Amino acid sequence: MKHHPEKAHYAVSVVGKDQPGIVAGIAEVLFRLGCNIADSSCTMLAGEFAMILIVSHMKPFSKSRLFEELHPACEQMGMSLAVRTLHADEVTRQESVGEICLVSVYGADQPGIVFHVTRELAQRGINITDLSTKLIGTETEPVYVMMLEAAVGQGMTPEDVENLLENLKKELNVEIGVRIVTPVSL
Amino acid sequence: MPVQTILRYPHPLLKKICNEVDFVDEQLHTLVEDLLDTMRAGPGSVGVAAPQIGVTLRVCVVDVSASRHGKDNNHGLLTMINPEILESRGVATMREGCMSVPDYTGDVDRATEIRVRFSELDQTVREFTATGFEAVAIQHEMDHLDGILFLDRIISVKTGLFRRKNYK
Repeated sequence: MKHHPEKAHYAVSVVGKDQPGIVAGIAEVLFRLGCNIADSSCTMLAGEFAMILIVSHMKPFSKSRLFEELHPACEQMGMSLAVRTLHADEVTRQESVGEICLVSVYGADQPGIVFHVTRELAQRGINITDLSTKLIGTETEPVYVMMLEAAVGQGMTPEDVENLLENLKKELNVEIGVRIVTPVSL
Repeated sequence: MPVQTILRYPHPLLKKICNEVDFVDEQLHTLVEDLLDTMRAGPGSVGVAAPQIGVTLRVCVVDVSASRHGKDNNHGLLTMINPEILESRGVATMREGCMSVPDYTGDVDRATEIRVRFSELDQTVREFTATGFEAVAIQHEMDHLDGILFLDRIISVKTGLFRRKNYK
C-alpha cells in the first residue's frame, strides 16, 4: 500500500459471530461511501469472523462519518466495530531486510506459549509480520499450535533464531522449528 | 542491446498465449539479447520471458547459477526457444515473486523435477532434467508463455507483507 497525501486512511476492525454475508455487508457500505479497501485480512477464529481492513477515501472525509455508516450494518449482524485514523507516516509499506522465517511451535497446551516465544523474538528486535494460533487435540489432551512469520534483521540467520529458541523447547516441552520462507525473485 | 522495460500486470500481453517460433532471424537474435540484458539488469533476477518485454513469442531465458537457491545445481545460462516440459514429478512449495507483479508474493506449488526440451539460438535441440530451484524458475518463466502468472497458481491466501526488494 502506498501513501497518497490526498487520501485519508483508517484502520477498521469488525468482529462477530460468523455468518454468511459479513464481508459483503461491510464491503457494500464502503463501496457506497466511495471508500477503497487497500490491504485487508479476514479470517475465522473459532466461530468468530474477524476483519481487519485499511480503508482509504479521498479527502475530505471523516472518521465519524465512516463509523456512523458502518455501525448499522455491524449492529444488524451483531458485530463489534472499531475505526482508527491512520496518520500519513503510518501509511507506508515497510520494506524487509534480511530473511523471512516461519517459526512453528506446537506442544501440549499450557499458559504462556505465545508470550515466551514472542518475548524472545521481541528482545532481539525480530519483527513478527504474521501470527496465528490454534487450539487443537482433544479436551483431555489439548495441543497448541502457533505459526508465525518474522523478519529477522540483517546479520541474523535462521540458525540464530533457532538457537535463540532452543532453551524454550526444553522449558516449555514444545517443538519449535524455523524455516526460511523468504520469497524468490523470478 | 538495450535493457527493456518489464511489463507489469495488467498489461494485456502478459495474459496472452505466445506463438511458437518457427524460424531464426535477426529479430529473434535481438529478442534473446534483450531478454539476457533485461535479466542481468534486474536485481537478483533469474529469468525473463519474452511477453514480459512485450514480445508474444515462446522464448525465455533462465540462469539460476548466481542465485542462492540454484548456485549448486543448474545448467548455467539457458536460452529456451519453444520450450516443452516432457515429464514432471514431485511437488514443493516456494514463495514466489515476479517482476511483472511487484509488491506481492505468494506460495506456489511446482514440480521438483522436470524433463525439458527446447531449441537454442543455433537451432541445437537440448533436452535435460532440471531439479530444484532451476526447475521452479523454468516452470515460472514457461508459464509466462501461456499467459499464466504466479497469481494463477497461489495455493494459500497467506501472502508476504513486504515489498519484494532484497531477494537473493
